[in-house]
Amino acid sequence: MSERVSERGDAPWRAKGCPWAAVVMMTVVVPALAGTMKEARADVTTECEFLEISAKAGDKPAIDHELSPVEKKLKKPPFSTWNQFKLLSRLQKPLAKKKAEPIPLKIGSATATLVEIVDKSKVRLTITMDDHKGKQVANNTATVEAGDYLIYVHGLPNNEGHLLSLTCK
Amino acid sequence: MSKPSDPRSDLELMEHADGETEDAGVAARLERDPDARAKIQAIQEIGELVRGHLELSADAAHDAKFAAMWRRIDDQIEAPVAGLWSRAMRWFDRYRGHVITGAVSAGAVAALALILRPSMPDPGRYGAGSTVIDVRPVALRATPEIDALDTPGGTGTVINLDDDEDGHTTVIWVTPADTVEGI
Repeated sequence: MSERVSERGDAPWRAKGCPWAAVVMMTVVVPALAGTMKEARADVTTECEFLEISAKAGDKPAIDHELSPVEKKLKKPPFSTWNQFKLLSRLQKPLAKKKAEPIPLKIGSATATLVEIVDKSKVRLTITMDDHKGKQVANNTATVEAGDYLIYVHGLPNNEGHLLSLTCK
Repeated sequence: MSKPSDPRSDLELMEHADGETEDAGVAARLERDPDARAKIQAIQEIGELVRGHLELSADAAHDAKFAAMWRRIDDQIEAPVAGLWSRAMRWFDRYRGHVITGAVSAGAVAALALILRPSMPDPGRYGAGSTVIDVRPVALRATPEIDALDTPGGTGTVINLDDDEDGHTTVIWVTPADTVEGI
């Protein structure tokens, strides 16, 4: 009889419900929450590649081999007015939501802001581009699919061009 | 034929045998009357027999009652343990402290691993967050949309180029005003 009493007496947790529920909560919910936090943190970033290019017309076509990602495009209109393309600068930059990031250029400057991510596959960006005098050339907001390209072209004297290509993923 | 007994004196003898009276007259009678002593002895023997029988009955009833009570208690305490699940649960009950400690530790380690693991490139996804933007197949991509365009001191022209292999390219061509005027 005394054994029975002690068996029942040392188990007050039974009255509070199944202890396995707490274990399951710890093992399932905590990692799930951690994953959610990580997703939330990742939700507001994208990474964009910026290529600053100078363009002009010359006797012989020449395209920097570092411009291979856009080489095919540069050989087609409207870029075919030029046949020489030189990479001035290249920058890969993560963009945080609603935070304007400066994009240093060899000629002038630019800023890029991730406005939002649309439908999980598109980015809405605001790009500003200034010339070498600090005068704004363009202020544009566009929505593009990840992997697609935006190319800003600023016509310069002597039939030269200043190009800023960007793509985000 | 024996002399009829006195009912009153027999009653006194019974009371005396049961210890209910200490009458000195009854004691004196027993000293001198062998018949009274025989009656007392008979009464005591019958009393012992009756008492023994009743006690045996009581003991039997007691054991049966408590046995049934314990069976009911046991049934309520422990469910039938024939199944594997029941045996497993009993094992967990016995080692619940160890199991809970292990499970909580494993959960905590898993949570830390998820939080602290470096971002891994995910096929089809890219970026500092590494898991946010889906790069859709070219054929499924939507045409770029120009939400706003301001080209101070110049003219802006938007050209959309479609490429079956590389996706869309949107060209924003800014022609300075002085160049336009010159044309």
